[in-house]
Amino acid sequence: MKFSNYIRIWLACARYSVVRTMMFRFDFIMWALVELFWMSVNLLLIGVLYSHTKDIAGWNKYEMLILVGTSMLIQRLLMGFFWSNLFEMSRNIRSGQFDFFLAQPGNPLFMVSTRKLDPDSLLNSFVAIGVIVYAIHHLGLQVTPGAIALYTLLVLCGVVIHYSALLMVSSLALWVVGLQGLEGTYFTLFEFSRLPREAFRGISRVLFVYALPVVVVSYVPARSLLYGFQPAFALWLVAVAAAWLAVAVLVFTRGLRRYSSASS
Amino acid sequence: MATFAKYRHAFLTGLQSNIVYRWNFAVRGCFSVFHLVVVFILWSAVYAGHARIGSFDLAQTLTYFVSLIVLQFFIGAFNEDYQISEDIRNGLINQFLLKPINYFFYRLSVFAAARLVSGLLVFIPLAFALPFLWHYLVLPPELWRLALGLPAALLAALIQFTIAYCFGLLAFWFLEIQSFIILSMAVESLLGGQMFPLDLMPPWLFHASQFLPYFYQMYFPAAIFTGRLGYTAALQGLVIQSVWALLLLGVAQFLWLRGLRRYTAVGG
Repeated sequence: MKFSNYIRIWLACARYSVVRTMMFRFDFIMWALVELFWMSVNLLLIGVLYSHTKDIAGWNKYEMLILVGTSMLIQRLLMGFFWSNLFEMSRNIRSGQFDFFLAQPGNPLFMVSTRKLDPDSLLNSFVAIGVIVYAIHHLGLQVTPGAIALYTLLVLCGVVIHYSALLMVSSLALWVVGLQGLEGTYFTLFEFSRLPREAFRGISRVLFVYALPVVVVSYVPARSLLYGFQPAFALWLVAVAAAWLAVAVLVFTRGLRRYSSASS
Repeated sequence: MATFAKYRHAFLTGLQSNIVYRWNFAVRGCFSVFHLVVVFILWSAVYAGHARIGSFDLAQTLTYFVSLIVLQFFIGAFNEDYQISEDIRNGLINQFLLKPINYFFYRLSVFAAARLVSGLLVFIPLAFALPFLWHYLVLPPELWRLALGLPAALLAALIQFTIAYCFGLLAFWFLEIQSFIILSMAVESLLGGQMFPLDLMPPWLFHASQFLPYFYQMYFPAAIFTGRLGYTAALQGLVIQSVWALLLLGVAQFLWLRGLRRYTAVGG
């Protein structure tokens, strides 16, 4: 299938998602509120912590807001574009409805990942951007168009890393059908991305900063806003995103070969 | 006696069905340890350069968060709201309307069984974490904390369950209640003291929070056990907690009666 056809499919799916959301407007408002509340809870935590201390691991309140805002932005983009698709994928594998995606004349990974959008999450990504802009204003940072482009690229790398990790967790259903409920606990990983790298010491630094990308995913984009372009950090994140995506695609395609449908 | 036997059987059946889900609880317990890692790293960084924050040192604050996890698995409502809403949606409550069994007490018995299983299971991942946690655990020696903390924990369980029960009953009016549940979870995690010990809030806010039911869901028993509340405050709290438990039971009964009026039995 041609690339332009994929874009047309994606646009059709996006249109369908928006129409569907507008049909259930009350639901849309409630879910948008849910996300807004959870974001506020995290911001209030920062408010309370910084009422007792001036810095945490060398980060002042507004620097920390940039980090947490970045983590929120990546989370909202992941939820908006991919979360429910991948969440439903493991459910569909268990029920056998996954056949429907395989029967479509397109790349199965594309079909599985892009069927739905969550407009409530995408709407809340503007709130996350608002938090970041507010913190930038307080810190008096001069943000050039180049810095915004770099930040956007690094945030996209963050989304790719989370997408890859989520794809791997969901693809596990292709190997172990009985595994359930792992997707729900995925949020625990986001908690790490709201902490600065400097807070990790010893074995926790090895594990959560270097072995798993749960910290760098938002730390590197936030740092690029605060200190400008640092090639080592940027390359690190791009390389990690490429590596995780490659492994995730491998796990998915290998898993597909094992898939033998469920139920009748 | 016969009444008691009914609910004893519900409890035992609940025990069996929850043991089936032991791996789900075990996985959840393991992820709680990850959450604990985040808490340790964050609060260690916050305490760097401060011997005390509020009136408490790092070990006391970390002990508070460990006690929260243990309490959560023993007294927290997990998905009871969802189960109740499903019972209503699928018409499964019909059988309770036809038999001499009270739906609230039936669900409470199953809840008690579920929490007994999950509460005991959380000690497995915590036992693995114990060598790292050991240096940070400091429990106050006063015996009255146990005498007041246990009833506070039981009342907290009742409040947690009753709130979940009320949310489940919303299925009489709304098709989809998941968003209500997660919205209330956000409020509970904040005002129940799961994000930070409530005593670190500004004093006027801390004082105001003591009049809300969320205060008594988790923070209150944890604060008694870990020495964050004094004797008089604990006694006063028990009184307010009992009032909230009664009020919520009243709301639950009201919603049940009003909901049944709207209910049309389908399936069975």
